[in-house]
Amino acid sequence: MKLYNRYILTVAIILLLTTVIMIATGQNSLDIYFTVYVIEALVITELYVYINNKARRGLAYVSAILFGGFTIALCLQIIRILA
Amino acid sequence: MKNRNTYTWAGLGLLIAGGLTSLSAYFVFHLIWLTALGICMLILSFILIALGKAIPKLSPEVCSLLLETGIDNIATLIEELGIKSKAIYLPSSLASKYPRAFIPLHSNGSRPEITKALPQRLIARYGSKPEDIGLLISTIGSTATGMLESKPGATQDELESALTSLFTGRLGVADSTRVVCQNNHIKIEIHKPRLENGASWSHQCLGGPLAAVVASVAAEAWDKPMTISQEEQVNGKYCVELEVGR
Repeated sequence: MKLYNRYILTVAIILLLTTVIMIATGQNSLDIYFTVYVIEALVITELYVYINNKARRGLAYVSAILFGGFTIALCLQIIRILA
Repeated sequence: MKNRNTYTWAGLGLLIAGGLTSLSAYFVFHLIWLTALGICMLILSFILIALGKAIPKLSPEVCSLLLETGIDNIATLIEELGIKSKAIYLPSSLASKYPRAFIPLHSNGSRPEITKALPQRLIARYGSKPEDIGLLISTIGSTATGMLESKPGATQDELESALTSLFTGRLGVADSTRVVCQNNHIKIEIHKPRLENGASWSHQCLGGPLAAVVASVAAEAWDKPMTISQEEQVNGKYCVELEVGR
Protein backbone atom coordinates (compact mmCIF):
# COMPACT_ATOMS: atom_id res chain seq x y z
CA MET A 1 0.00 0.00 0.00
CA LYS A 2 2.82 2.37 0.91
CA LEU A 3 4.45 1.75 -2.47
CA TYR A 4 1.16 2.51 -4.26
CA ASN A 5 0.80 5.78 -2.33
CA ARG A 6 4.37 6.77 -3.14
CA TYR A 7 3.82 5.94 -6.83
CA ILE A 8 0.58 7.97 -7.02
CA LEU A 9 2.20 10.91 -5.21
CA THR A 10 5.20 10.82 -7.57
CA VAL A 11 2.96 10.84 -10.66
CA ALA A 12 0.75 13.62 -9.24
CA ILE A 13 3.69 15.85 -8.22
CA ILE A 14 5.55 15.37 -11.53
CA LEU A 15 2.43 16.05 -13.65
CA LEU A 16 1.51 19.15 -11.66
CA LEU A 17 5.09 20.48 -11.74
CA THR A 18 5.18 19.93 -15.51
CA THR A 19 1.91 21.84 -15.88
CA VAL A 20 3.26 24.78 -13.84
CA ILE A 21 6.55 24.84 -15.79
CA MET A 22 4.78 24.63 -19.17
CA ILE A 23 2.33 27.39 -18.22
CA ALA A 24 5.28 29.54 -17.06
CA THR A 25 7.08 28.98 -20.39
CA GLY A 26 3.91 30.05 -22.26
CA GLN A 27 3.15 26.68 -23.84
CA ASN A 28 -0.18 26.80 -25.63
CA SER A 29 -0.41 23.47 -27.45
CA LEU A 30 -2.54 20.76 -25.90
CA ASP A 31 -0.69 18.08 -27.94
CA ILE A 32 2.60 18.96 -26.28
CA TYR A 33 1.05 18.95 -22.80
CA PHE A 34 -0.48 15.52 -23.44
CA THR A 35 2.69 14.06 -25.01
CA VAL A 36 4.83 15.17 -22.04
CA TYR A 37 2.28 13.77 -19.53
CA VAL A 38 2.16 10.40 -21.32
CA ILE A 39 5.95 10.09 -21.47
CA GLU A 40 6.31 11.01 -17.78
CA ALA A 41 3.58 8.61 -16.66
CA LEU A 42 5.13 5.75 -18.67
CA VAL A 43 8.65 6.44 -17.37
CA ILE A 44 7.53 6.64 -13.71
CA THR A 45 5.52 3.40 -14.09
CA GLU A 46 8.60 1.64 -15.48
CA LEU A 47 10.76 2.97 -12.63
CA TYR A 48 8.50 1.38 -10.01
CA VAL A 49 9.68 -2.16 -10.75
CA TYR A 50 8.57 -3.60 -7.39
CA ILE A 51 4.84 -2.98 -7.92
CA ASN A 52 3.17 -6.39 -7.79
CA ASN A 53 1.95 -8.31 -10.84
CA LYS A 54 -1.77 -7.65 -10.38
CA ALA A 55 -1.26 -3.88 -10.13
CA ARG A 56 1.22 -3.99 -13.00
CA ARG A 57 -1.38 -5.66 -15.25
CA GLY A 58 -3.85 -2.85 -14.44
CA LEU A 59 -1.18 -0.23 -15.08
CA ALA A 60 -0.36 -1.92 -18.42
CA TYR A 61 -3.95 -1.16 -19.55
CA VAL A 62 -3.53 2.47 -18.43
CA SER A 63 -0.25 2.66 -20.36
CA ALA A 64 -2.01 1.21 -23.43
CA ILE A 65 -4.78 3.85 -23.20
CA LEU A 66 -2.22 6.65 -22.80
CA PHE A 67 -0.12 5.32 -25.67
CA GLY A 68 -3.28 5.11 -27.82
CA GLY A 69 -4.00 8.78 -27.05
CA PHE A 70 -0.41 9.68 -27.84
CA THR A 71 -0.61 7.84 -31.21
CA ILE A 72 -3.86 9.65 -32.13
CA ALA A 73 -2.29 13.02 -31.23
CA LEU A 74 0.78 12.14 -33.32
CA CYS A 75 -1.35 11.04 -36.33
CA LEU A 76 -3.42 14.25 -36.18
CA GLN A 77 -0.22 16.31 -36.11
CA ILE A 78 1.22 14.41 -39.13
CA ILE A 79 -2.05 14.88 -41.10
CA ARG A 80 -1.99 18.61 -40.22
CA ILE A 81 1.62 18.92 -41.48
CA LEU A 82 0.92 16.99 -44.70
CA ALA A 83 -2.33 18.84 -45.51
CA MET B 1 -20.86 -0.76 -4.27
CA LYS B 2 -19.03 -3.89 -3.19
CA ASN B 3 -15.22 -4.23 -3.23
CA ARG B 4 -14.68 -0.52 -3.84
CA ASN B 5 -11.81 0.79 -1.78
CA THR B 6 -10.49 4.32 -1.24
CA TYR B 7 -8.31 4.12 -4.37
CA THR B 8 -11.31 3.31 -6.57
CA TRP B 9 -13.46 6.02 -4.98
CA ALA B 10 -10.68 8.61 -5.34
CA GLY B 11 -10.19 7.46 -8.94
CA LEU B 12 -13.89 7.79 -9.77
CA GLY B 13 -13.99 11.25 -8.15
CA LEU B 14 -10.99 12.40 -10.17
CA LEU B 15 -12.45 10.86 -13.35
CA ILE B 16 -15.65 12.94 -13.03
CA ALA B 17 -13.82 16.10 -11.93
CA GLY B 18 -11.16 15.71 -14.64
CA GLY B 19 -13.74 15.00 -17.35
CA LEU B 20 -15.85 18.04 -16.42
CA THR B 21 -12.80 20.32 -16.05
CA SER B 22 -11.17 19.37 -19.35
CA LEU B 23 -14.40 19.46 -21.38
CA SER B 24 -15.61 22.80 -19.98
CA ALA B 25 -12.10 24.33 -20.21
CA TYR B 26 -11.66 23.26 -23.86
CA PHE B 27 -15.14 23.89 -25.27
CA VAL B 28 -16.53 26.68 -23.05
CA PHE B 29 -13.63 28.70 -21.59
CA HIS B 30 -11.03 27.91 -24.35
CA LEU B 31 -8.28 27.64 -21.76
CA ILE B 32 -5.50 25.23 -22.78
CA TRP B 33 -3.75 25.17 -19.37
CA LEU B 34 -6.99 24.29 -17.57
CA THR B 35 -7.70 21.57 -20.14
CA ALA B 36 -4.20 20.20 -19.49
CA LEU B 37 -4.90 20.19 -15.76
CA GLY B 38 -8.11 18.23 -16.45
CA ILE B 39 -6.09 15.71 -18.48
CA CYS B 40 -3.69 15.38 -15.50
CA MET B 41 -6.66 14.50 -13.30
CA LEU B 42 -7.89 11.95 -15.86
CA ILE B 43 -4.47 10.24 -16.02
CA LEU B 44 -4.34 10.07 -12.21
CA SER B 45 -7.88 8.70 -12.09
CA PHE B 46 -6.99 5.86 -14.51
CA ILE B 47 -3.97 5.00 -12.36
CA LEU B 48 -6.01 5.05 -9.13
CA ILE B 49 -8.75 2.83 -10.60
CA ALA B 50 -6.11 0.36 -11.89
CA LEU B 51 -4.40 0.22 -8.48
CA GLY B 52 -7.77 -0.07 -6.70
CA LYS B 53 -8.32 -3.41 -8.43
CA ALA B 54 -5.04 -4.76 -7.03
CA ILE B 55 -5.86 -4.00 -3.38
CA PRO B 56 -6.67 -7.17 -1.38
CA LYS B 57 -10.34 -7.60 -0.45
CA LEU B 58 -9.50 -8.47 3.17
CA SER B 59 -8.88 -5.54 5.49
CA PRO B 60 -5.48 -5.27 7.29
CA GLU B 61 -7.32 -5.87 10.60
CA VAL B 62 -8.63 -9.27 9.42
CA CYS B 63 -5.17 -10.22 8.09
CA SER B 64 -3.59 -9.24 11.42
CA LEU B 65 -6.21 -11.30 13.26
CA LEU B 66 -5.42 -14.41 11.19
CA LEU B 67 -1.66 -13.90 11.51
CA GLU B 68 -1.75 -13.40 15.27
CA THR B 69 -3.96 -16.46 15.80
CA GLY B 70 -1.60 -18.64 13.75
CA ILE B 71 1.52 -17.36 15.49
CA ASP B 72 -0.14 -17.72 18.89
CA ASN B 73 -0.98 -21.39 18.26
CA ILE B 74 2.57 -22.22 17.16
CA ALA B 75 4.02 -20.26 20.12
CA THR B 76 1.81 -22.21 22.56
CA LEU B 77 2.86 -25.52 21.02
CA ILE B 78 6.58 -24.69 21.20
CA GLU B 79 6.35 -23.36 24.76
CA GLU B 80 4.38 -26.38 25.98
CA LEU B 81 6.97 -28.75 24.51
CA GLY B 82 9.79 -26.71 26.06
CA ILE B 83 11.80 -26.62 22.83
CA LYS B 84 14.96 -24.51 23.03
CA SER B 85 16.73 -25.49 19.80
CA LYS B 86 16.73 -23.13 16.84
CA ALA B 87 14.52 -23.87 13.85
CA ILE B 88 16.04 -25.05 10.58
CA TYR B 89 14.38 -23.49 7.56
CA LEU B 90 14.10 -26.11 4.87
CA PRO B 91 13.65 -25.55 1.11
CA SER B 92 10.65 -27.13 -0.64
CA SER B 93 12.87 -29.95 -1.93
CA LEU B 94 13.46 -31.12 1.66
CA ALA B 95 10.07 -30.25 3.16
CA SER B 96 7.49 -31.48 0.61
CA LYS B 97 5.69 -28.94 -1.59
CA TYR B 98 6.77 -25.65 0.05
CA PRO B 99 9.52 -24.38 2.38
CA ARG B 100 8.93 -25.04 6.06
CA ALA B 101 10.67 -24.77 9.40
CA PHE B 102 11.91 -27.88 11.17
CA ILE B 103 12.43 -27.78 14.94
CA PRO B 104 14.39 -30.72 16.34
CA LEU B 105 12.87 -31.95 19.61
CA HIS B 106 16.21 -33.15 20.96
CA SER B 107 19.31 -31.10 20.48
CA ASN B 108 22.86 -31.95 21.60
CA GLY B 109 24.33 -28.70 20.36
CA SER B 110 25.01 -29.84 16.81
CA ARG B 111 22.63 -29.14 13.97
CA PRO B 112 20.90 -32.22 12.55
CA GLU B 113 21.72 -33.03 8.95
CA ILE B 114 18.65 -33.38 6.77
CA THR B 115 19.54 -35.00 3.47
CA LYS B 116 16.22 -36.34 2.20
CA ALA B 117 12.74 -34.84 1.93
CA LEU B 118 10.80 -35.05 5.19
CA PRO B 119 7.23 -36.41 5.17
CA GLN B 120 4.45 -33.83 5.16
CA ARG B 121 3.54 -34.31 8.82
CA LEU B 122 3.68 -32.22 11.99
CA ILE B 123 5.98 -34.70 13.74
CA ALA B 124 8.64 -35.82 11.30
CA ARG B 125 11.55 -38.20 11.65
CA TYR B 126 14.84 -37.24 9.96
CA GLY B 127 17.18 -40.03 11.07
CA SER B 128 17.26 -43.63 12.23
CA LYS B 129 17.86 -42.93 15.94
CA PRO B 130 14.85 -42.66 18.29
CA GLU B 131 15.71 -39.02 19.15
CA ASP B 132 15.94 -37.98 15.50
CA ILE B 133 12.53 -36.42 15.55
CA GLY B 134 11.17 -32.90 15.27
CA LEU B 135 8.31 -30.60 14.37
CA LEU B 136 7.79 -29.63 10.75
CA ILE B 137 5.75 -26.46 10.72
CA SER B 138 4.69 -23.78 8.27
CA THR B 139 5.73 -20.22 9.05
CA ILE B 140 4.79 -16.94 7.40
CA GLY B 141 7.94 -17.43 5.34
CA SER B 142 6.39 -20.58 3.81
CA THR B 143 3.43 -18.59 2.49
CA ALA B 144 5.49 -15.52 1.59
CA THR B 145 7.79 -17.59 -0.64
CA GLY B 146 4.75 -18.55 -2.72
CA MET B 147 4.16 -14.86 -3.44
CA LEU B 148 7.41 -14.60 -5.38
CA GLU B 149 7.03 -14.46 -9.16
CA SER B 150 9.82 -17.01 -9.63
CA LYS B 151 12.29 -18.93 -7.53
CA PRO B 152 15.35 -16.71 -6.94
CA GLY B 153 18.81 -17.99 -7.85
CA ALA B 154 21.55 -18.66 -5.31
CA THR B 155 23.27 -15.32 -5.75
CA GLN B 156 23.51 -12.21 -3.59
CA ASP B 157 21.82 -9.98 -6.20
CA GLU B 158 18.93 -12.34 -6.93
CA LEU B 159 18.17 -12.84 -3.23
CA GLU B 160 18.31 -9.07 -2.65
CA SER B 161 15.97 -8.44 -5.58
CA ALA B 162 13.53 -11.16 -4.42
CA LEU B 163 13.46 -9.86 -0.83
CA THR B 164 13.02 -6.21 -1.91
CA SER B 165 10.23 -7.21 -4.28
CA LEU B 166 8.53 -9.15 -1.48
CA PHE B 167 8.98 -6.69 1.41
CA THR B 168 8.52 -3.48 -0.56
CA GLY B 169 6.24 -4.46 -3.43
CA ARG B 170 4.03 -7.28 -2.15
CA LEU B 171 3.95 -6.94 1.63
CA GLY B 172 4.82 -3.24 2.11
CA VAL B 173 6.61 -3.95 5.39
CA ALA B 174 10.01 -2.40 4.66
CA ASP B 175 11.68 0.15 2.38
CA SER B 176 14.56 -1.91 0.97
CA THR B 177 16.91 -4.80 1.67
CA ARG B 178 20.64 -5.40 1.31
CA VAL B 179 22.26 -8.82 1.14
CA VAL B 180 25.91 -9.69 1.77
CA CYS B 181 27.15 -13.28 1.37
CA GLN B 182 30.28 -14.41 3.24
CA ASN B 183 31.32 -18.07 3.00
CA ASN B 184 28.45 -20.01 4.57
CA HIS B 185 26.85 -16.94 6.14
CA ILE B 186 24.33 -14.55 4.59
CA LYS B 187 23.81 -11.12 6.16
CA ILE B 188 20.57 -9.31 5.35
CA GLU B 189 19.77 -5.72 6.26
CA ILE B 190 16.11 -4.71 6.10
CA HIS B 191 15.72 -0.94 6.02
CA LYS B 192 12.85 0.76 7.87
CA PRO B 193 10.94 -2.38 8.89
CA ARG B 194 7.30 -1.87 9.87
CA LEU B 195 6.66 -5.25 11.46
CA GLU B 196 7.38 -5.62 15.14
CA ASN B 197 9.15 -8.60 16.67
CA GLY B 198 7.91 -10.24 19.81
CA ALA B 199 10.21 -11.44 22.56
CA SER B 200 8.46 -14.73 23.31
CA TRP B 201 10.01 -18.16 23.55
CA SER B 202 8.78 -19.10 20.08
CA HIS B 203 10.53 -16.07 18.58
CA GLN B 204 13.83 -17.25 20.05
CA CYS B 205 13.21 -20.61 18.41
CA LEU B 206 11.71 -19.54 15.06
CA GLY B 207 13.02 -15.98 14.80
CA GLY B 208 10.89 -12.90 14.15
CA PRO B 209 8.38 -12.76 11.28
CA LEU B 210 10.76 -10.86 8.96
CA ALA B 211 13.64 -13.21 9.79
CA ALA B 212 11.36 -16.19 9.09
CA VAL B 213 10.52 -14.80 5.63
CA VAL B 214 14.18 -14.06 4.91
CA ALA B 215 15.26 -17.57 6.00
CA SER B 216 12.55 -19.30 3.94
CA VAL B 217 13.34 -17.30 0.78
CA ALA B 218 17.10 -17.86 1.22
CA ALA B 219 16.57 -21.60 1.83
CA GLU B 220 14.52 -21.81 -1.36
CA ALA B 221 17.09 -19.79 -3.33
CA TRP B 222 20.11 -21.82 -2.16
CA ASP B 223 18.09 -25.04 -1.99
CA LYS B 224 19.79 -25.71 1.33
CA PRO B 225 18.66 -25.62 4.98
CA MET B 226 19.15 -22.27 6.72
CA THR B 227 19.36 -21.30 10.39
CA ILE B 228 18.89 -17.85 11.82
CA SER B 229 22.15 -17.34 13.72
CA GLN B 230 21.56 -13.70 14.68
CA GLU B 231 18.90 -11.02 14.43
CA GLU B 232 18.85 -7.51 15.83
CA GLN B 233 17.23 -4.15 15.25
CA VAL B 234 19.61 -1.15 15.12
CA ASN B 235 19.03 2.43 13.91
CA GLY B 236 15.92 1.68 11.87
CA LYS B 237 17.55 -1.37 10.33
CA TYR B 238 16.69 -4.97 11.02
CA CYS B 239 19.75 -7.18 10.58
CA VAL B 240 19.45 -10.93 10.10
CA GLU B 241 22.35 -13.34 9.79
CA LEU B 242 21.72 -16.77 8.31
CA GLU B 243 23.89 -19.82 8.44
CA VAL B 244 23.78 -22.00 5.33
CA GLY B 245 23.52 -25.68 6.09
CA ARG B 246 25.00 -28.57 4.14
